[in-house]
Amino acid sequence: MVTVRFFAGIREITGQKETTVAASTLKDLLTNLAAKHGLRFQHEVYGPEGVSDEAIILVNGRHLEHLPEGLETELVPDDTVAIFPLVGGG
Amino acid sequence: MYGWIGKVLRVNLTSGKISTEPLNEKLAKDFIGARGLGAKIFSNEVDPNVDPLSAENKLLFVTGPLTGTLATSAGRYNVVTKGPLTGTIAASNSGGYFGPELKYAGYDLIIVEGRAEKPAYLWIYNDKVEIRCAEHLWGKLTGETTDLLLQETDPEAKVACIGPGGENMVLFAGIVNDKHRAAGRTGVGAVMGSKNLKAVVVRGTGGVKVANKEAFREAVLDARAKLMAHPVTSGGLPTYGTNVLINILNQIGSLPTNNFRTAYFEEADKISGETMAETKYLRKKACFACTISCGRVSAVKSGPWAHVGEGPEYEATWSYGSQCGVDDVDAIIKANNLCDQLGIDPITMGSTIACAMELFEEGVIDQETTGLPLNFGNAEALVKLTEDTGYQRGFGAELAAGSYRLANKYGHPELSMTVKKQEIPAYDPRGVQGMGLEYATSNRGGCHVRGYLTSPEVLGIPEKLDPDSTEEKPAWLKTFQDLTAALDSAGICLFTTFAIGGPEIADMLSAATGIDYSAEDFLHCGDRIWNLERLFNLAAGLTAADDNLPPRMLEEPIPTGPNKGKVSKLPEMLPVYYQVRGWSSDGIPTDEKLTELGLA
Repeated sequence: MVTVRFFAGIREITGQKETTVAASTLKDLLTNLAAKHGLRFQHEVYGPEGVSDEAIILVNGRHLEHLPEGLETELVPDDTVAIFPLVGGG
Repeated sequence: MYGWIGKVLRVNLTSGKISTEPLNEKLAKDFIGARGLGAKIFSNEVDPNVDPLSAENKLLFVTGPLTGTLATSAGRYNVVTKGPLTGTIAASNSGGYFGPELKYAGYDLIIVEGRAEKPAYLWIYNDKVEIRCAEHLWGKLTGETTDLLLQETDPEAKVACIGPGGENMVLFAGIVNDKHRAAGRTGVGAVMGSKNLKAVVVRGTGGVKVANKEAFREAVLDARAKLMAHPVTSGGLPTYGTNVLINILNQIGSLPTNNFRTAYFEEADKISGETMAETKYLRKKACFACTISCGRVSAVKSGPWAHVGEGPEYEATWSYGSQCGVDDVDAIIKANNLCDQLGIDPITMGSTIACAMELFEEGVIDQETTGLPLNFGNAEALVKLTEDTGYQRGFGAELAAGSYRLANKYGHPELSMTVKKQEIPAYDPRGVQGMGLEYATSNRGGCHVRGYLTSPEVLGIPEKLDPDSTEEKPAWLKTFQDLTAALDSAGICLFTTFAIGGPEIADMLSAATGIDYSAEDFLHCGDRIWNLERLFNLAAGLTAADDNLPPRMLEEPIPTGPNKGKVSKLPEMLPVYYQVRGWSSDGIPTDEKLTELGLA
């Protein structure tokens, strides 16, 4: 199982801080979560139109944008996926 | 003049002479205001080799042309001086309401010279300016000082003051305005203390004229609409405050932990913005004309550290939290509040305690020296040592000089996480390469707000840069440094740049001042300001050797977390940065560059 951690406003959508998901790729994992958490998740994180511009998705600390295989990145049981809305500070 | 008031207030505390003079319009146009204009006037008037704590140093409170207007988040002013912590030019930026009030009283800036014989404060009511006795205020915390000054002057006045930290010349003392906003870094409060100046109190009943009201209104509404539409400035920051960064920096593996021994903190969520929003924050609090409202009123409701205060911001939560291995959020909030009350910089304070903790764990210092067991994770130590530092008591007197001097005293300079003697902030540069270059080249020592590459490297704003790459970082950093220098000088908040950039700010500035600044002109002013600060530092004796990082960043790979195994690649980036800047390989601006900028 892959560990998935939710942060900031994403916790309001999922109602939880952390879960585990059985998935072989990042796309599978996000599809699974989108089906479970509904329209708001699909709008703010991942849905039929792909990954939202307002989501930050990390696999083991690396941003989706910088993963060579992108959504097709293969996941193994010890992997951690973190999902944030677009945040900032300083 | 429009935007600018056009008047400078000069106060000599030694002679008691108070005078005004017109603002030089050419300087204002070229250096804008606040940080840039302050740096120019300061450079013109003060020997770069001045002892920062001597009467010969000057202390400038400087607003920008947008300060006090209805431009977005336009409540900023800068304190400019030579910093005692770093020996560099110091520009320390603060929000709140003090800056706008200074302009409403009829001044763009105050130049404070000399040293008062006895504790004094400055009372400004429009064109009536007095140097008053502050002996009854000396020793008091910033909150009580503010309350007393409002009682004896005008309840509508605004107060910028020092606490015991500044009075006792803690080298990283700040100046606190409106009780909880601070010109926090580089030790500007120690300079104020060295002048026996407890406070500046200002009340103004005038306003700021803008040149083109309709164009200004349109430019402000455009900028405001973008701020209200952007998820960071309308969502993340208003909801969670700056502390929303704790979890994301930890998840990418760049949250410095235990004095940068590693960059992943297992207990990060306990001290995160999400947790504080649930359990500690009472309400939001905004600075002047700000739609973002990133400030927080917070409470510790019970226990030994029960109180109501403001903050902590992300940086203070980090410095007292993971940097010291502490997950007790009540202790962090209390220690941060003590910094506000004592008037000291929580970034340097927390990180200096972290350095002492490592010295203690390495057996370099013992409990006889520290007065208490000082292992990482000791929450009580944060509170006790912060208070002792403000009053220069016991081991606190050693901490009051910052970690650079502490670690050197005990023969372990490598354990001080500083650049140019100032503590680097809450982004491990081994995992965020551009931030390492930013720290190394900052003109005021280790600092994150001189060119905030965390925005593209971690948050993906305005576009996503790979935090591990080095190739494009020097050019990006120059642009960010120039933009930030110009923005700081205009008088609006850095956080606006999550949603707007040079074009929007230049539009507001042009309409306010009546001077046609293009986005390129605005960046060019930033480049000029950056180089001016560099020239001051070079004349003060700094060299390219000071553009460096603590050896741990270059030699010790991060041992745990997502960035395990990484070190900073600063040596790859620095020579390219010098080229991009138009500097020699020794980091000196070339004649050609200075001519281009009008600084020759």
